[in-house]
Amino acid sequence: MTVAPARPTGGEQKAARQPDRPDRTRAGAYPWAMAAAIMVAVSGAALSLNGVLRGWNWYWPGLTTVLVVGFTLAALRSLRAQPLLVTAGGFIALGAVLTLTFFRSSSFLWVVPTTATLQDLNRLIGRASETVLGETAPVAPNAGIVLVSCAVLGLAVILVDALAVPLGMPAASGMGLLALLVVPAMIKPQSVGAWSFLATAAGYLLILACSQWFAPDGRVEPGPARSPGVVRRAALTGAVALAATLVLPLAIPGFDSGTFPQGSRLNPWGASNSLNPMITLGNSLRAPDGSGRITYATNSGTPLYLRSVTVDNFDGDSWGPDDRSASRVPLDGRIDPGYAILADEQVRLVTAIDAGSFNSPYLPVPYAPETISGLGGQWTWDPATLSIKGTDTTTRRQEYLVTSALPKLSAALLAQSSGQVRDVPDVFTRIPANVPEIVKTTARTVAAAAGAPYQKAMAIQKYLRSSEFTYSLQSPVQGGYDGNGLSVLADFLQQKSGYCIHFASAMAVMARLEGIPSRIAVGYAPGRLTGATVTVAGQGALPEYEADARDAHAWPELYFQGLGWVPFEPTPSRGVVPDYAVDGPAPSVPDTLGNNDGLVPDAAPVPTTPPSATAQAAPGAGSSSTGGTELMPWLLGGGAVAGLALLAAAPHLVRAGTRSRRLHPKRADRAVPLAWNEVMDLGTDYGLPAERSETPRAYSARFREALLGEPGGMDRDAHAAMATLTSAIERYRYGRPDQGGSPDSGLVAGTAAEEIAAVAASLRANATLPSRLGAAWLPRSVTRRLGQLAGTPFSAANRAFGAAAAATARLWHGSRGRAHDAGRRAGGG
Amino acid sequence: MEPHRRTATNGSAPNLNLAGVSDPVSHLNGHRPVAMDPGAFHAAAQRILTTVNTVIDGKSDAAKLALTVLLAQGHLLVEDVPGVGKTLLAKTLARTIDCTVNRIQFTPDLLPSDVTGVSIYNQASRLFEFRPGAVFANIVIGDEINRASAKTQSALLECMEEHQVTADGSTYRLDEPFMVVATQNPIEMEGTYPLPEAQRDRFMARISMGYPDMDAEIEMLETHQAVSPLANVSPVVTAADVAAMTAAVQKVFVSGPVKEYTVSVGRATRESPMLRLGASPRSMLQLLRAAKATAALDGRDFVLPDDVADVAQAVLAHRIILDRKAAGAGETPHSVLRNILSRLPVPQAQAGRAAAGTVGRNR
Repeated sequence: MTVAPARPTGGEQKAARQPDRPDRTRAGAYPWAMAAAIMVAVSGAALSLNGVLRGWNWYWPGLTTVLVVGFTLAALRSLRAQPLLVTAGGFIALGAVLTLTFFRSSSFLWVVPTTATLQDLNRLIGRASETVLGETAPVAPNAGIVLVSCAVLGLAVILVDALAVPLGMPAASGMGLLALLVVPAMIKPQSVGAWSFLATAAGYLLILACSQWFAPDGRVEPGPARSPGVVRRAALTGAVALAATLVLPLAIPGFDSGTFPQGSRLNPWGASNSLNPMITLGNSLRAPDGSGRITYATNSGTPLYLRSVTVDNFDGDSWGPDDRSASRVPLDGRIDPGYAILADEQVRLVTAIDAGSFNSPYLPVPYAPETISGLGGQWTWDPATLSIKGTDTTTRRQEYLVTSALPKLSAALLAQSSGQVRDVPDVFTRIPANVPEIVKTTARTVAAAAGAPYQKAMAIQKYLRSSEFTYSLQSPVQGGYDGNGLSVLADFLQQKSGYCIHFASAMAVMARLEGIPSRIAVGYAPGRLTGATVTVAGQGALPEYEADARDAHAWPELYFQGLGWVPFEPTPSRGVVPDYAVDGPAPSVPDTLGNNDGLVPDAAPVPTTPPSATAQAAPGAGSSSTGGTELMPWLLGGGAVAGLALLAAAPHLVRAGTRSRRLHPKRADRAVPLAWNEVMDLGTDYGLPAERSETPRAYSARFREALLGEPGGMDRDAHAAMATLTSAIERYRYGRPDQGGSPDSGLVAGTAAEEIAAVAASLRANATLPSRLGAAWLPRSVTRRLGQLAGTPFSAANRAFGAAAAATARLWHGSRGRAHDAGRRAGGG
Repeated sequence: MEPHRRTATNGSAPNLNLAGVSDPVSHLNGHRPVAMDPGAFHAAAQRILTTVNTVIDGKSDAAKLALTVLLAQGHLLVEDVPGVGKTLLAKTLARTIDCTVNRIQFTPDLLPSDVTGVSIYNQASRLFEFRPGAVFANIVIGDEINRASAKTQSALLECMEEHQVTADGSTYRLDEPFMVVATQNPIEMEGTYPLPEAQRDRFMARISMGYPDMDAEIEMLETHQAVSPLANVSPVVTAADVAAMTAAVQKVFVSGPVKEYTVSVGRATRESPMLRLGASPRSMLQLLRAAKATAALDGRDFVLPDDVADVAQAVLAHRIILDRKAAGAGETPHSVLRNILSRLPVPQAQAGRAAAGTVGRNR
């Protein structure tokens, strides 16, 4: 009986096979079509930069760069150059066109860079970085920023091309385009823009279509023939990808409104996400750029702290502001601090604030606000903390006028306030259950001797500002206590190094332990004078100050009966110590606020550098950070060297670990496959990886031929060991299951280790020095796996897109093409 | 017309097993041979190969493949230009085994009944009597098989596949072992009828002899000058030995991954754009049987993917048909198969092993 194999009919088969066959005449057009598609996509994505850069003048140099690089790639590829050579050629073309555009005068023959070109380049890059740091979008397209943009566009062409053609992952090439689109998506309020998104998407579809249309040379694999209708298939692939870009944003928290092309801002980092300022504060301080810029003008003679929110609940692992949305009151008219102030004199301030790019639900205002005018949207205030929060809006681009009032505080006045504290909600006095012991003992030793609350507060502040403590943004990160909470506090008191949040919380918690109600205020430290003046109605021209993310600050507020909440400044080298809190012959401090000449606003401290103003104000704090900084470079250097050494040795260590695990397997029956894997990795290390289509026997033969010496003589043992290992793995894989296991296969774990050792010794003896060193210190079996790991997301994305498109194509085919197919089969068969 | 039919000198006359005619099944079950133990198997195989190699110089691969096909109970097609020793190989192999050998010289006027046999009216007994044809032997050498008409060729079909002859409504079972070794000349187109695809599919393997190398040819000139080397050959194994060896081959273990590999070789030929016709399921069976024989000849009791790959060319090349374009581009069935085998991933883990060892690379 003959079984008739199911075979497709001739007509169908021919149609199916056609796209799979590399056609030499059409391969010529492939590089050009692909390059055109990539150029369309990249120049489309570049459209979205309008708005980040002002005007359109920058676009033509960018377009030139894209065209030159794209055509160079296409030309090299059509000459059938090596893939690496093509990419290298792209880089050279990029360098040449940038030189031609920007450094024509200083270059040799217009396109060859010289040393003078490098100097010019340095200057332009410096200008670009100034622009990036100092200006807000849209920036003027000066030469520096255009140079950087052109370079980025050229690199994008090379990246997209590399992903789509030599790496064979056209669907993943969208990542290169996405890298371009991310910039406007983050910076421009109107996001990418529909036109540029459409242009990018069209280019992307063209890339996909090209890669389906022309199978790239040498990448045609025998396998299932592609389904008919390459254009439709490519279109479907693209449609799936596009649908994903439209659906995906809904799942990403950064997209807070709208969908991808319009009306959204992907901004997971910057100041907009200040719902928990405690967490973002450290990041803001460390941010290299001055985002969240805010300007204000005030009639205050002293530097002004702008307060957004307070943290008062010290329970829990991570502190955050308590919203108290239940007790909030809509903001209309006066804000009442809610406690009686018994001081004779009140200081009233008028401050005009422009929140600018600072984006937070909490409004920064000087304490204690009385009236606020000029705000847009709905705002509420919390009677307990006086924090002001928008219900339907944020501080972004708000301009408002605040009047605030504070009792005119002096050391003498504060010293009088020794009475029992009344009228303060429990939340400001409650001591958390799990205060670490070190916090308690520190509070006792520092403040127990002092009598009145004011003396206690001064003692704590003096302790924190003493030279024992250093201000550092980095050491909490390195010490693993960057954050907040009681455990962080304990670490801080041990390490004695941290930044404002640590000092402020230390003082607040210790004050509570000593019976003083406390809370942490979060906001901006006084910034810098801009030199400009702002005219405020009824006040005349007031000096303008600016503050940005680098001025983000936290400070403790302590409650004194009859005086209300009083801010202190325990953070060394930051902010300004109020005159009432200056440690000294307190009772005799003059009572005028204008006294503190050292605290004039333009001398206000710059972050992280101990300024003279602070040194004058708090003599004890001046030398606080010098002891730590001298050791730091050595520690950093040593750490870096150790880290580099570890990094360099990492592949070797990983390899050694793998080998040891394989040669001493936990289960005896795994000895054989593990030993064989070790053989294959040894071969890989010495530049002879196994092919997937290679049987153990074939690989063994190749291994012995290429890597071991002559079968006789010194390498006899190694050859014998390879033969043993090979027959063991063959029996293990293909032998009878009941006798293929380790005990019967003549290879147990111990002997496997010996066999491997013999092979490895012979490998070393027969290899050249470079390959021996490479095998030991940069084993290819490890690096290859790393490479595969790194490529996994790309190839997985490629596979996923491809599979989704194929499924969709099948569905499409099934529903629409059935009748068509039937007709064709009848006609052709 | 009398066919060029000779009775092999070392065999007895075609022994018609009339006892088995009425009940083929009993014949099949009657004396199932006991599998030969590995030591004896190896010794017997070596004897056969050594003997064949004394006659045909420098063709040990062809000899080994011929023995493989014999042990795998298949039929062999030897294809090459005239005068390279096709017939000599077939005759030598037959001569090393103590069994019946018939040789049929195929000519255009050969009739089917010459192959299978014919019923003749016996005047004395007044009954029709079956006179067995040339196919009734353990080893049948079909010389220049493609010179016979398609009708005669197809007469061989049933014999080869079913190991039996049906004539005038009666079925006659052939003796085991039964093997057809056919030779054909590829370039001699005049007066030849190309072997039908169905019949090609029935040959387990096709081999080419190829020209001997220089030393072997000089050697041949010296030794074959005076006397035919075939004359010195005497049988080294009995038919029963061969049956026992065949039984041993049947007991060779085939693991799951090897079956998977075999099937994927077949599927790759069917999916290859270079081929108009891929390998049939029957050829998969024959491929695996040949691989088992190869493994046994190599002294193993289990099949490796290597065994499958080794015999794949000989077993599959004559069954697949090239696409016209691929043929135009200079591809051959051998090059296509080589390409397929060099790309096909080898399955690593054995089905039914511990789960940890089955998937992918073991770390």
